[in-house]
Amino acid sequence: MSTEPYKVADISLADFGRKEIQLAEHEMPGLMSVRAEYAESQPLRGARITGSLHMTIQTAVLIETLIALGAQVRWASCNIFSTQDHAAAAVAVGPDGTPDDPKGIPVFAWKGETLEEYWWCTEQALTWPGGEAPNMILDDGGDATLFVHKGAEYEAAGAVPSPAEDDSEEWRVILDRLRNSLADTPGKWTKAAQTIKGVTEETTTGVHRLYDMAKAGTLKFPAINVNDSVTKSKFDNKYGCRHSLVDGINRGTDVLIGGKVALVCGYGDVGKGCAESLRGQGARVIITEIDPICALQAAMDGYQVTTLEDILPQVDIFVTATGNKDIITADHMSRMKHQAIVGNIGHFDNEIDMAGLAAIPGIKRINVKPQVDEWVFPDGHTIIVLSEGRLLNLGNATGHPSFVMSNSFTNQVMAQIEIFTKLEQYPIGVYTLPKHLDEKVARLHLDALGVNLTVLSKEQADYIGVPVEGPYKPDHYRY
Amino acid sequence: MHGGRPSPHEYIADPGLAEVGDRRIRYSERSMPLLTALSRRFSADRPFDGMTVAACLHVTAETAVLARLLRAGGAQVALAASNPLSTQDDVAAALAASDGVAVFARAGVDRRTYYEHISLALGADGAQGPDLVIDDGGDMVNTLHTERVDVLPRVRGGCEGTTTGVLRLRRMAAEGALAFPVIAASDTPVKRLVDNTHGTGQSVIDGLLRASGILLAGKVVVVAGFGSCGVGIAESARSLGARVLITEVDPVRALDAVLRGFRVLTLAEAAPLGEVFITATGSAEVITAEHMARMRDGAILANAGHFDVEIDVRELHALAVAVQPDVRPHMDAFELPDGRRLLLLAEGRVVNLVAADGHPPEVMDLVFGIEALALEWLAGNAGKLSPDVHPVPPDIDAEAARLVLAALGAEIDTLTPAQRAYLASWQLGS
Repeated sequence: MSTEPYKVADISLADFGRKEIQLAEHEMPGLMSVRAEYAESQPLRGARITGSLHMTIQTAVLIETLIALGAQVRWASCNIFSTQDHAAAAVAVGPDGTPDDPKGIPVFAWKGETLEEYWWCTEQALTWPGGEAPNMILDDGGDATLFVHKGAEYEAAGAVPSPAEDDSEEWRVILDRLRNSLADTPGKWTKAAQTIKGVTEETTTGVHRLYDMAKAGTLKFPAINVNDSVTKSKFDNKYGCRHSLVDGINRGTDVLIGGKVALVCGYGDVGKGCAESLRGQGARVIITEIDPICALQAAMDGYQVTTLEDILPQVDIFVTATGNKDIITADHMSRMKHQAIVGNIGHFDNEIDMAGLAAIPGIKRINVKPQVDEWVFPDGHTIIVLSEGRLLNLGNATGHPSFVMSNSFTNQVMAQIEIFTKLEQYPIGVYTLPKHLDEKVARLHLDALGVNLTVLSKEQADYIGVPVEGPYKPDHYRY
Repeated sequence: MHGGRPSPHEYIADPGLAEVGDRRIRYSERSMPLLTALSRRFSADRPFDGMTVAACLHVTAETAVLARLLRAGGAQVALAASNPLSTQDDVAAALAASDGVAVFARAGVDRRTYYEHISLALGADGAQGPDLVIDDGGDMVNTLHTERVDVLPRVRGGCEGTTTGVLRLRRMAAEGALAFPVIAASDTPVKRLVDNTHGTGQSVIDGLLRASGILLAGKVVVVAGFGSCGVGIAESARSLGARVLITEVDPVRALDAVLRGFRVLTLAEAAPLGEVFITATGSAEVITAEHMARMRDGAILANAGHFDVEIDVRELHALAVAVQPDVRPHMDAFELPDGRRLLLLAEGRVVNLVAADGHPPEVMDLVFGIEALALEWLAGNAGKLSPDVHPVPPDIDAEAARLVLAALGAEIDTLTPAQRAYLASWQLGS
């Protein structure tokens, strides 16, 4: 398989991308501090990192941080829609190149890939020049890890199986790619699996896959679960969504939130952030929950907690944040207030039954603008659905802001350094980052916010039984 | 002193409490930077030399600081309580021991004695009566115009500190019954902000918590009235985790509540939902038997309005088959025929004063500072004013805010000449 230097939508967008990267750098103090701290020691020298993670402006700052620490990097996006084309162009051109003379990294990503293109991009990111294999993976959702594992598995079996009748289209695409690869470069994925020291995984979905593989004994290299760092999940879920939910609703609808009745389904970290921001805008926020602990938290925070059925006719804005499916059904939507707003901020698009909505006899869909649809019911009442029931903070706004991603990505860099430099401490298995690194990520963000941290005296540290320099909390501490 | 007056200690509970009261007055004084600043000025200028000021105020440590300020400005001061329950007897004793302050206030007096005390503060029969009055709720001004018209001619003007009192005075003025100009000190923007919203917002919750001992987080709290007091109470309860419901009669205030994210509904709808009810309307018969009949078992009723007419306590008594007084201090339990119990705080009187310490001294500092500045202004200008209710001159309000800011160490910018010119011009656009 031939390799191309890079493939992006439009290399001429690099200048715009670079301007946004420079703005983002200021808002990503964790990554910038890491660059300064490790400028000399170059802990990632010799690392060949394949990244599969949304190719956004913030990711560009991550990529250039990895490079600043000595790594070589190849990149693909981990979602067919999530690439920001100007970010991809800027990464391909690099800070010192020009569109005519690009000096950046091999990046294979554009917004609106087909499934074939998507997996081609993933394979490109995993295919290093000179027949070399990557020795590290930085993954989001686990697709790069999956591709290597399946490739090695089929190489060992001697063939790629035919797809079963009920296999998804995507699975067929993956099998086709691997079939070509096995014919073209036999043993490529076996070698990659042996060469790769480990993977650092960004998100819940990918972490699930890793734990499943570890349990089944099929995991071929150690993995660090970045998702469950406190400075990742709490920040992504609570503070990120608190920022971007209201942003998405505003950009999508421009309704005054003050005075509206807003229903937030789910009061986990995401729901807590959503409820707080809606209340901050003056909405009267009502919560639905299935977990008595979260429900009690909501009540103690002063929210009315009730069932969707009970409150449905009064609600102006519906937000699902449960991580579960079938939360808002077509029947619910048929009984909502005229012009009620319906959106989802849970990871998957199955919280709102969009297929059921579309199947209502006589219903009409009027596209108001991208990611905003007004659905007209036969009785004449309408509802406004944001982002087709997919993550509205990403669809209608720009997802998490740079500062939040700086926390997530600084965890990624810490995890990459940890596995690359201390592999002997990580036999095959799935690990979370040690707490002192979690604390370090937080520490790296304090200065930018003007935080003056109090330092424990030796006596105080001894009194509560922790080292002066941390870690300060037991692993089970919930924050 | 007012002539022919009996011993200064006859109308207070216990002169022996003077030392304790004095300590508390001095403690409050430290949190009253505005009155402290004014005290320096009044001691030098003596704006009230030769005058008598009669005051009808809650007899608290903060009021005592005001009384001492007026005294420092040269006035003879007579003080009666503006509520039969709110008098702090130690403060009354401490003030009575000062030279030139006559105190007529004892906690827990009956209605007849309450009004007798107000009358006495206006001077004994045949006395000259006060030059200036400070009222809190309108009872003293009302007494002047009904029982004590004998001393009315001397009164140059007065000051009223509460919304309730101002409403009463406006009705008097409308009927032509008001005999002297009154400055409505309740109505300044600064006072509304600090006293009603922030002061009442904090102290009503304080009173509620002290009297009931409940956790507010998770409770449904119904606030009747979303005026400047209701706003503060509602925000304060919400910040402690309560789910707050609002009832209103004014569509503008109701809209403000809705846009702040509160649910607004009628009291009839709220009655079966609330676990705590707080009235802050300034009106009467807000919570009636009709509502009480539908309340939850254990519902708590408290009033933050000036008078005890917002919760219909008589109807509650009529409704109850048994009353258990003082299940906790300032909490009476009323058992209804079906076994439900309703818990009334402070007998339906103003809960922040009865069950807590009223406003913190910082708030009263501002209120009393505005009143003292208004009295100073009245002492020189009352003759120019018609016998009507007048607003506090805006520069007095601003002066009070400025002095408090200085004490808090907050500096503010000053408009440049160019900015002033821009703001004054209609010709300059972008």
